[in-house]
Amino acid sequence: MPEPSAQPKATVLLRSGEWALLAAILIAVVLTALVDANHSYWFRPLESLRDIARNTALLGIFALGATVVIIAGGIDLSAGSMIALSGTVAAATMVALAPAAMLGFKPVGPTIVAVACLASLLVGFLVGTLHAWLITAVRLPPFIATLATLVGLRSFARALCESTTAAFTPTKSAMINVSDPLFKAVRDNVWIPVAVFGLLAFATWLILTRTVLGRHVHALGGNEQAARLAGIRTDNVKWFAYCFGAMTAALAGLFYVANESVAAPVNQGRGHELNAIAAAVVGGCSLTGGVGTVPGTVLGAIFLRVVIDAVSKIIKTGADVYEGLIVGIVVVIAVTFSQVGQLAKGGRRLLSGPLGLCAIPTLALLCGAVVAMTATGAAGLASGLAALVFLAVVRAWESRGGRAPRPS
Amino acid sequence: MTAGTSDLAIAMRGIGKRFPGVVALADVTLEVGRGELRAICGENGAGKSTLMKILSGVYQPDDGTLEVDGAAVAFTGTRDAERAGIAIIHQELALVEDLSVAANVFLGRERRTAAGLIDDRTMEAECRRLLALLECQVDPQARTGSLRVGDQQLVEIAKALSLDARILVMDEPTSALTETESARLERIIARLRDRGTTILYISHKMDEVFRLADRITVLRDGRHVQTVDRSATTPAAVTGWMVGREIAGHEFHRAAARGPRLLEIRDLTLPWPAHPRGYRLANVSLDLHAGEILGIAGLMGAGRTELLETIFGAGEPTWTGSMRLRDAAVRFTHPAEACAAGIAMVTEDRKRLGLFPDLDVAANVSLCSLREATRGGLLDRGREEALVAGPIRDTGVKTPGPHAAITGLSGGNQQKCIIGRWLLTKPAILLLDDPTRGIDVGAKAELYQLIDRLCREGLGVILTSSELPELLTLADRIIVLAEGRLTAEFSRAEATEQKIVHAATGG
Repeated sequence: MPEPSAQPKATVLLRSGEWALLAAILIAVVLTALVDANHSYWFRPLESLRDIARNTALLGIFALGATVVIIAGGIDLSAGSMIALSGTVAAATMVALAPAAMLGFKPVGPTIVAVACLASLLVGFLVGTLHAWLITAVRLPPFIATLATLVGLRSFARALCESTTAAFTPTKSAMINVSDPLFKAVRDNVWIPVAVFGLLAFATWLILTRTVLGRHVHALGGNEQAARLAGIRTDNVKWFAYCFGAMTAALAGLFYVANESVAAPVNQGRGHELNAIAAAVVGGCSLTGGVGTVPGTVLGAIFLRVVIDAVSKIIKTGADVYEGLIVGIVVVIAVTFSQVGQLAKGGRRLLSGPLGLCAIPTLALLCGAVVAMTATGAAGLASGLAALVFLAVVRAWESRGGRAPRPS
Repeated sequence: MTAGTSDLAIAMRGIGKRFPGVVALADVTLEVGRGELRAICGENGAGKSTLMKILSGVYQPDDGTLEVDGAAVAFTGTRDAERAGIAIIHQELALVEDLSVAANVFLGRERRTAAGLIDDRTMEAECRRLLALLECQVDPQARTGSLRVGDQQLVEIAKALSLDARILVMDEPTSALTETESARLERIIARLRDRGTTILYISHKMDEVFRLADRITVLRDGRHVQTVDRSATTPAAVTGWMVGREIAGHEFHRAAARGPRLLEIRDLTLPWPAHPRGYRLANVSLDLHAGEILGIAGLMGAGRTELLETIFGAGEPTWTGSMRLRDAAVRFTHPAEACAAGIAMVTEDRKRLGLFPDLDVAANVSLCSLREATRGGLLDRGREEALVAGPIRDTGVKTPGPHAAITGLSGGNQQKCIIGRWLLTKPAILLLDDPTRGIDVGAKAELYQLIDRLCREGLGVILTSSELPELLTLADRIIVLAEGRLTAEFSRAEATEQKIVHAATGG
């Protein structure tokens, strides 16, 4: 029997999917520079770079946490709420320790800022511990456990904000202004979040690829039962993964407070958990666990932010409305492309049967509507019709081989 | 065969089926008359289940023809077989536990009212009628998962009856049943036969086979061995046909240097709360010495895996009894503890419980002893490669390199990697749970030599196998489990396949 060829593909610095992602980032940048009517990438490159760098660093910090959790075979839906809670805990700590300075928009001093930041990270550790306990001891599925904290933590943060302000200041408030010069400095110096992101990415890469713990994270996500039977304390590895996830979100929460000069638990970080998961998945993480890299996630985060920035440059006004739509489309396209090999090999059909028939107008309508809203109605109609014709041709081409094989 | 074609319910002729690396069936012919009850016997892996899956449309044969009631058929799925009147009750029941009994019986063929809505009342009434026929007191509205296994089996039979199946295939139906449940099932089978249903009955249990069957067919190694009338044969003859292959050529003659006692287990009992039997293992006692291979024989579900998992701290922690490792009482609650105490376990289902498909060969081998490959807390690639080079060489793994994908290796090489992984932990006791399952003959011989060599180096080995010749070749002593109880112990000299099969079938 001939031995199957199992020689690993040569990896030069990055894996092939990651090189493709890098190319996609460059293409998106060049296209934006060309299409943007203001040509801001040409005329104000530093300003654009600063924007993208800041947004990427903030997203990337907790996307690294999501990466570790996903490689370990779990999921953490609570990152956005953890961001809100972390910011609120830091701000509430400062209000409690220096109410007068906080009310008067005066500096509270480095010691109190340090205590506030440590309190946030500690809360991150506690939330991670709670997740790990719910998942390993109570045996909740990770999706359920972190769905509960997704809704629960934000509510908890709002309550904390209101009761702290009620106790230490004259009026109850739903947000706390943070104007200490240390936070301002972080806001004004983009290199700080970028440097923190860079260091954290390096540390995460080191843990995942060069430590026993990291190997155990991969083993746990790849085959949990086998990992346990190999004598790995899988519960402890999960504990690490969920704490890492929650603490990176807590760290990001501090940067959001600095960026916006306010801790606003009502909507700070809302929905961001999905951006983090999207960055990890675009970067090559598999939601079934065991697969993923730090360089992939870093590139995934950059790609998402570059595309979002491109849309805002091209559409100009009200671009934030389209942010979710863009993230959704990018995730579908990126993951579909990573499966192109399988699609071709397995002879899988995208548009067969009655479901495929109904998918054609659905996709054409989506395409037309998006174009109509962002450009003109006529362009929308034209592109919708073009999509309809294109998809119908794809369907006809796919069904040329006769009846689809029975799925086994 | 004097019966004319028209009297045959089933005629499978020259059936062959190959899976990658294995010939599951070769030139098997099976002809069953209408209304006959045919028992199909054979060891694990003899091809009984594969043959039945071909008959019921799950698999398509590579060679041969299939006729039902004299008409040639070619099934492309189970639906085709159902339409031809064939129903199969698998060893692992295929019920949706969260649906009601009636919903399961009519799953995929739901009755509807005139308005097109699901007609639960009709289905429940029909289901009640079918269950009454089967002496089954179950409420059609009950959640199927809440039923005992014996009743679930009757639900499967009710489903087959609702299909008006004229041919019913039962794959070891009594393996999970209590004695009263088995007796009820036998009565029902007799009644179905009286109604004219053709039944194919797969079983290991000679007493059942000889009470029920009209004729008996024996398969071995994917080939047809014998088909005889029940009245013309004896259980001993059938058992002989089942195991009658030449014992593989290699005999290992170790110098009988039995070392000190490593493991002593007394009255180990593992409860099984939700099961009528009440226990998975009952009062099992055994000793293991250094330099010895202890074989554990038993049918599927006899408790072999549970015994090894309990020793390794990987099973339910609810067991009672005593376990002493080198004369010190131990009780492991996690495999990590057993591992630290010098016990290693190669698990039964390599893909599901042993292999890490996303890790490369080196990482799969080094996993349990990674700390030895670190320098200053960080993994050192060079050290890891040096660490795994030893076991990869010693176990004879054929791999393009330490960083090749483990999924690219053959089953035998994957298994050697896993054994290598455990050898790195320098164990005193090696537990091997059916280590050669799904491995081709050449790799098997290499694994036998490896196991024999390890044993000579002073390891104590406990080996389970679903293939008796393997145990007879390797083991110094063989204990036999039947339904969780230890029913016999043989020295190498005493053991024969007949004796073991007799003890394993509880006879």
